[in-house]
Amino acid sequence: MMRIITLLTIALALPAVAQETLIEGNIQSKCIIHTDTQGVYGNPTPDKLSTTSTDGGVQPVVRYDVAVADYYIARITTPTSFSTSPTLTDVVNWTGSSSVGEVSDAGMSAYETSKVVYEATTEFDLTIAGSTWFKVSSVAEYGYGKAFPGGTYRAVVQAECIAK
Amino acid sequence: MRLLAPVCAFILSTAGSASAHEMTPTYPELRPSYVDGLLVAKLSMFNARDDVDYYEIGVFDENWTKIPFATQARIVKVPYGEHSKFEVYIRDEDKKRATYVCTTSKLRSDKPSYAIVSSKVCSRLDGALP
Repeated sequence: MMRIITLLTIALALPAVAQETLIEGNIQSKCIIHTDTQGVYGNPTPDKLSTTSTDGGVQPVVRYDVAVADYYIARITTPTSFSTSPTLTDVVNWTGSSSVGEVSDAGMSAYETSKVVYEATTEFDLTIAGSTWFKVSSVAEYGYGKAFPGGTYRAVVQAECIAK
Repeated sequence: MRLLAPVCAFILSTAGSASAHEMTPTYPELRPSYVDGLLVAKLSMFNARDDVDYYEIGVFDENWTKIPFATQARIVKVPYGEHSKFEVYIRDEDKKRATYVCTTSKLRSDKPSYAIVSSKVCSRLDGALP
């Protein structure tokens, strides 16, 4: 009984202390490029390497996060050469494209219709804040129906985020 | 079939986990530096790409022509998960031409398998807000 009374006395004696803890933050314009999915070249025929799923490949997916709307342009360039490959004696014909995949805001779907394509590069005007996932496809065909020599092949996709 | 086996699947992009590259601010300010005739802009970048350790800094005009600049190191090591602050010095006479300052991921050829999404983030030095 005495113990309870003592504890109560101590509790009542303590002054109520309330402190305000300030949490501060600010949103500044920035662009973050994420590499979300590995790309894999499938080899449906001896003369072809392709990231298309029907060809046994996997499309790389790059995500752009922009904190403030209308400050950046996304520019994605598909490969036009291998960064690593065995010696190739014939021409490699490259095709590629970039398209809008998932979006965090429905309005971002319009990026697909308003994209600008030149050579191997596709530009998207990031007019809405949030995240956009871009799917990249790449196809390499060797000579005129010639088989690619065995070995390791690598190619580079360039993902750029340029302030407007 | 023998030929197909070795070239069956080639990894085009980076390792499994999501990875990111960012640089701020979007519109860095060019200010007079402690050296006469040189202006300085202060920037910061963050490396969350576990497949990249080095980034190259570059300064360009609006046509993407390189502009001379000075910095602590043009290729900076930014370990995974870390921020790096850096300064870019340009000549007074290049102030009107300097438009973009960019960091570009440097991909290592000795890393097995993957390549490869090269990422490049550019800020504007000319203060031209959209």
